[in-house]
Amino acid sequence: MNPAIKSSAAAADKKTTVALQAENVSKAFVSGKQRTQVLDGLSLHINAAELTLISGPSGCGKSTLLAVLSGLQKLDGGRVLALGSELGQLDLRALERFRLQHTGFVFQGFNLFPALNAFEQVELPLNHMGMSRSEARERARNSLDEVGLSHRMKLRPSELSGGEKQRVAIARALAKEPELLFADEPTSALDAANGQMIIDILHRIARTHGTTVLCVSHDPRLVVHADRVLAMEDGRILSDQRNDAPVSASKGTP
Amino acid sequence: MVALARKTLIYEWRRFLPAILAVGFAGLLQLLQLALVLGIFGSTSLYITGSSADVWIGYPGTQSVGQGRSIDGDVESRILMDPAVKRVEPYIWVDGDWRGTKETGGVSVFVSGIDTSPEGLMFSKALPLDLRQRLNEPDAVVVDRSDLDQLGVDIGQTATINGHEVRVVGISTGLRALGGVNVLCSLDTARHLDSDAEDIGPTYLVAKLYDPTQAKAVAMRLRGDSAFGPYTTWSADHFAHVSVRYWMFDTGAGAGVLFLAGIVFLVGAVITSQTLIAAVNGSVREYATLNALGVGVGALRRVVLEQAFWVGALGLLGASVLGVALLMLARGQNVPVVLNLPAALGCIVLVMGLAAVSGLAAMRSLRAADPATLLR
Repeated sequence: MNPAIKSSAAAADKKTTVALQAENVSKAFVSGKQRTQVLDGLSLHINAAELTLISGPSGCGKSTLLAVLSGLQKLDGGRVLALGSELGQLDLRALERFRLQHTGFVFQGFNLFPALNAFEQVELPLNHMGMSRSEARERARNSLDEVGLSHRMKLRPSELSGGEKQRVAIARALAKEPELLFADEPTSALDAANGQMIIDILHRIARTHGTTVLCVSHDPRLVVHADRVLAMEDGRILSDQRNDAPVSASKGTP
Repeated sequence: MVALARKTLIYEWRRFLPAILAVGFAGLLQLLQLALVLGIFGSTSLYITGSSADVWIGYPGTQSVGQGRSIDGDVESRILMDPAVKRVEPYIWVDGDWRGTKETGGVSVFVSGIDTSPEGLMFSKALPLDLRQRLNEPDAVVVDRSDLDQLGVDIGQTATINGHEVRVVGISTGLRALGGVNVLCSLDTARHLDSDAEDIGPTYLVAKLYDPTQAKAVAMRLRGDSAFGPYTTWSADHFAHVSVRYWMFDTGAGAGVLFLAGIVFLVGAVITSQTLIAAVNGSVREYATLNALGVGVGALRRVVLEQAFWVGALGLLGASVLGVALLMLARGQNVPVVLNLPAALGCIVLVMGLAAVSGLAAMRSLRAADPATLLR
């Protein structure tokens, strides 16, 4: 749509590959006679192994963009290429399979099962990926270790703080070793210190695992931590900025 | 595999308790109702199941044992001619009006006149030999212990049936009847008590075969000969079935039972499905998250169905424990309850069916577990 945005993104990083690509994407919601165009001919590239932040006021369409890029929502027009697959071509089953193999999600609400302890929360999706029980447990342990919760593995959500719950949710997504990690307002329900910790973990995941992390948030504290910040308003991308030297992820991690 | 269904059921047991109780009580109601019906209506075929006859011969079109009409006594020789038949004896049914010594008014009684010889077929399973022998005394009768109050007599006392004096010489158990009181006596006494001049022969002839497994074939073979006046034949099993079915369906009692069973099923299913739906709705965001992570809808449905299964199994367990206790209590109080394997299996199928239907209904609310709704 906007050639300036595309070229600036491409010029900024020469060696990275494109993990996600949206071409002329449009999406509208109809409620009664009211039709709201949320995304209107939007195009963008998201580079692999980066933490990309989409920021903007509420209602600007950033969550819809995330839903469309992750294959959770169908498009009205245009196409989305994720890891080389055109999501629009996949049926419901194939989309589920794609998400199972390639994507992780972190939501604003932590959405943990009250009955399961942290370890089981992380192990549960792995059970459905067809890996052995021992491998699933190994991965769950490593993943919880990575978010600094190895000492809290046996606790249920009711015994964890908000920040810890979100770290469990991240571990759940991370244990799948996804190429794509989507996060929707992951820090909105958290205080500053916990929010800081979460964004540091997400950034570190992008760096050390080569995971493409796409984060949607209106939280201004996150801007300095992202590799790239896309500002959205009214279904369009207003600016595309790179932080060449984002704040180091090494401090503040658990 | 993380046992999500079971762990949730245990951790959030308060949420599932109403469903377990609903399933349990629905099961218990069905079980007790069925046991009562089988017990009560089973007693209508007591004359057949309590005897060792293999083939019954009676008036054509007879709808239940209590509704026989006299047949020609000469049919006996026709039956005896069949090489498969070992023994034939008459059985006389008389509807009587009992007047006791106490203030009981008139009591409707079913008089059974039977062959009192030790090898007699009628009530051979329900009547001890010594009591059978005592029926040889003139005007002697035997009644069930549970009917004594109703008849207003005790052992050794006299009363009248159809105006003739009889004497209670013994008390037995397991002779309770539906809609009246069974009174046992000898064939001679029964003929004496029968006031209907039209009754010239026995009400039934009952036959013992050399090979009881041939009952069906012999009954078929003996049918259709009218040289001795109208009669027809049944195998004992068939006639018992006919009698029970008459009471179950032709009297409307069975329809009432089926109707009640349907209501119980419906109420149980509504409560159970609502509880399960509420449980699914309570976890819908978590299910949606799993779906976002790629766990298929099919796998999520299995979780809901598994929960329904456990709800059904736990309800069934509770119903079984309570049901056995109540059935034992009923037995102790002489309430006719019978539970056989097919009936118990039927209850199990019904309860698990109820749980399955509720699970399927709850599965529908998984539609709300659309991960796109998690992104706002």
